[in-house]
Amino acid sequence: MVKEECKALLDALNKVTACYRHMVLTIGGTSDSQNLREELKKTRQKAQELAVANRNKLTTVLKDKSVSKEDKAEFERLWVIFSTCLEILEIDMRRALELGHEFPLNVPKKHLIQTGMSGGTSGVAARAMSVQNMKYEAERNIDVVDLKDLENEINQVGEMMYEMEMKVNVPQWTVEAKQDPGAELKSTISVGASSIGMISVEENKSFCDISKVLAGIIFSAVLIIAIVLAVCVVKLS
Amino acid sequence: MTVTRLDYGQRYRPRMAFLKKIEPLMMEMQDPDTGVKTQTQRVMITNIPHAVTGNDVMQWILQRLQITQEEALHLGDLFVKYGYIYPLQEPKNLTLKTDSSLYRFQTPYFWPAQSWPADDTDYAIYLAKKNIKRKGILEEYEKEHYNMLNQKINYKWDFVIMQAKEQYKAGKERKKADRYALDCQERAYWLVNRTPPGVLDVLEYGVDRVTDPNENKKKTMDVYRREIMYYQQSIMKSRVKSSVSLGGLVKYSEQFLSNDPLLSGCLPSNPWITDDPEFWDLNAKLVEIPTRMRVERWAFNFSELIRDPKGRQNFQLFLKKEFSGENLSFWEACEDLKYGDQSKVKEKAEEIYKLFLAPGARRWINIDGTTMGITVRGLKHPHRYVLDAAQTHIYMLMKKDSYGRYLKSPIYKEMLAKAVVPQETVKKSSGFPFGRRHLRSSPSPVILRQQEEEAKAREAATTVDITQPCHHAAQAPHPAVYTGTSTPPSTPAAPACPPAALPPSTACPSPITVAFGSTAGAEKEREPQDPSPFPSSSGRSRMAALSFGRFLKRGCWTSPVFATLSPKCPAMPHGKVQPLGEREQQLWTDTKAVSSFFQIKMDGPLESRICPIDSEKGEDNRHRACLRP
Repeated sequence: MVKEECKALLDALNKVTACYRHMVLTIGGTSDSQNLREELKKTRQKAQELAVANRNKLTTVLKDKSVSKEDKAEFERLWVIFSTCLEILEIDMRRALELGHEFPLNVPKKHLIQTGMSGGTSGVAARAMSVQNMKYEAERNIDVVDLKDLENEINQVGEMMYEMEMKVNVPQWTVEAKQDPGAELKSTISVGASSIGMISVEENKSFCDISKVLAGIIFSAVLIIAIVLAVCVVKLS
Repeated sequence: MTVTRLDYGQRYRPRMAFLKKIEPLMMEMQDPDTGVKTQTQRVMITNIPHAVTGNDVMQWILQRLQITQEEALHLGDLFVKYGYIYPLQEPKNLTLKTDSSLYRFQTPYFWPAQSWPADDTDYAIYLAKKNIKRKGILEEYEKEHYNMLNQKINYKWDFVIMQAKEQYKAGKERKKADRYALDCQERAYWLVNRTPPGVLDVLEYGVDRVTDPNENKKKTMDVYRREIMYYQQSIMKSRVKSSVSLGGLVKYSEQFLSNDPLLSGCLPSNPWITDDPEFWDLNAKLVEIPTRMRVERWAFNFSELIRDPKGRQNFQLFLKKEFSGENLSFWEACEDLKYGDQSKVKEKAEEIYKLFLAPGARRWINIDGTTMGITVRGLKHPHRYVLDAAQTHIYMLMKKDSYGRYLKSPIYKEMLAKAVVPQETVKKSSGFPFGRRHLRSSPSPVILRQQEEEAKAREAATTVDITQPCHHAAQAPHPAVYTGTSTPPSTPAAPACPPAALPPSTACPSPITVAFGSTAGAEKEREPQDPSPFPSSSGRSRMAALSFGRFLKRGCWTSPVFATLSPKCPAMPHGKVQPLGEREQQLWTDTKAVSSFFQIKMDGPLESRICPIDSEKGEDNRHRACLRP
């Protein structure tokens, strides 16, 4: 029970971290915008909440003496995953801070790097926040204002990590991975099939679409001809 | 928790300061008016904007920075190599081509920065993602990395897989074109940061520093104190005018130009080219007949002579003739102490002391009182540099005194005449161009060392022939100044060198030097033992006269002889020195100094010695024959 809850929380944190990474990648590029900055802010706040929840849950479990050995090993493994996730989050937050300073959005002289991106990241953010659509309600200069908050949050995360290190004594190297190398291939084969070689698959799809459209056109053309012929026959006879 | 890295910000490695300089240039390139013109890249049916041609990039650099074509090309190439711009058509070939090949700018997150080195965990996630996308098709080196990382960060592996999957899924939320661009970006980043085998790793900058040289340290008293000390020492540093040092450099180059085998060619031939090792054979360490160039080189300056083992050998011959061979032997012994086996430092230092420094030693060297004092004091706690002061003194002595005479001596001139000038060999054209060249390996260092040691032993044997066996015939217990072991005093260094006509004169000068030299130690030793109240000066002059007389005969009337007298007066505490005092007594008592001396010698219990008495006796006879008018 507790294990499932922990796992779920961890999965959520993992998802949010991945989305955050995606968004930080686009700072300074052409798909950077005020919306992106707002998304970043919201995502990282969510990440922090999840992190706190995770930490509380895991620390209570790890401090509990009554768990069995296998359970304890399992929780230690989860703990290691959690701490690694948090590290990645912290690094991304720091980079976001640095990049945010370098690429302020409302300065006319500073141009964004033309990275080839044209679309937005709202889909990613929606995924992170587990909502259907993102709502944007922040002010115009969130990119500058937010940086201060970001700094504070970075410090908070740093402190949290330090506390965790001090309070919970889980030697990382004792944890063994459950997944073998190459496990990602087996489990995501269904996922992979749907998007093999990105562009070529899309190509196929689009080609299929085109062929379908063509077939429809031909069919309708044939139908029209048949109707015309029938009318002619009727008229003549 | 992973050990968090120290902040290796750019301040630690000023070498990478250029990274921060490239960034503003990159940003300038984005200006829609003055920047680089962009085009759209067409991939199948999608259009991805913001592609630039290599030519445009180079033209922009040329125009903006006003530099030459070559420089601009090089700079543009560096931009690509460091990952600021990545190629679209040939992703793995990170060079700038000035044609219409397309490039794109890298997103700032993936710009190289020293504060954010590429992480192993990230790389593992990337490889896992690639695995998912390509269904297991990775490059060879990527597969290796994958396996290696799996072992290295195995405890994080579950996280790696989870994160890879999530990142992959999150990526799907983006536009198709954006996804493609993202893929290219990431691939470019990892091509720069985890180079494939054979590609130069441009981000390599050596070892990281641990401390930050620009850190603002709190100015405590200690910091200020250290700063003051540092500046005081800097002021005291001696400086040489650059004109002087450069002049010296020029002079050195001119002098040694002809000796440089690379610049002036070498005779007979360069072994690396003609495959003929004659050059090395002719220039072996202790070759019988050295080459002329080598011998001429000894005349350049003293350090050249002393560096060359053959030169030292020749110089030693000369010094023996001058009765100052112990200087060079002492110098060599000091070198051995400094660079030899450190576990034997104590024993070596003791031996050197006994042999060279102790008052009345067999091969006593002539150094001034202060140096002797320093050395003796230092010898109480021996270490490898304890004899440095004495060594320097002897070195300067040899350099200023003996070296000049050596260069004019017949020994050197003979060597110069004997020296061989090798013929230049013609490059042997191998008969068969495809034939196997017979490869010869140079002699193994083990064998070379053995040969050296044998040669050394032979040298030692020929010079110290007779004295060796008497070495352990201890006559009277002499507590040496600082060691408790009883040492055999000097042994009669009777001349017995078959080849050389000269007796080993190493021990000979000692009475003279003792007589003439005003060693405080000797004097000090003499005073307490000598009850006779005669003033030391007169005694010395008398001794001087006698020494001179003996010197003329080229006999070896040395302290070993004196030592033989020691059994006569057993109550002498310092056996090594007492011979002198005793001799004086004897002199004083005997009127016919010379003959009585001989008599004393004859009376001495020479029979009890193991030394070759015959030669000694022979010498006595010779001397007696000479002296008896």
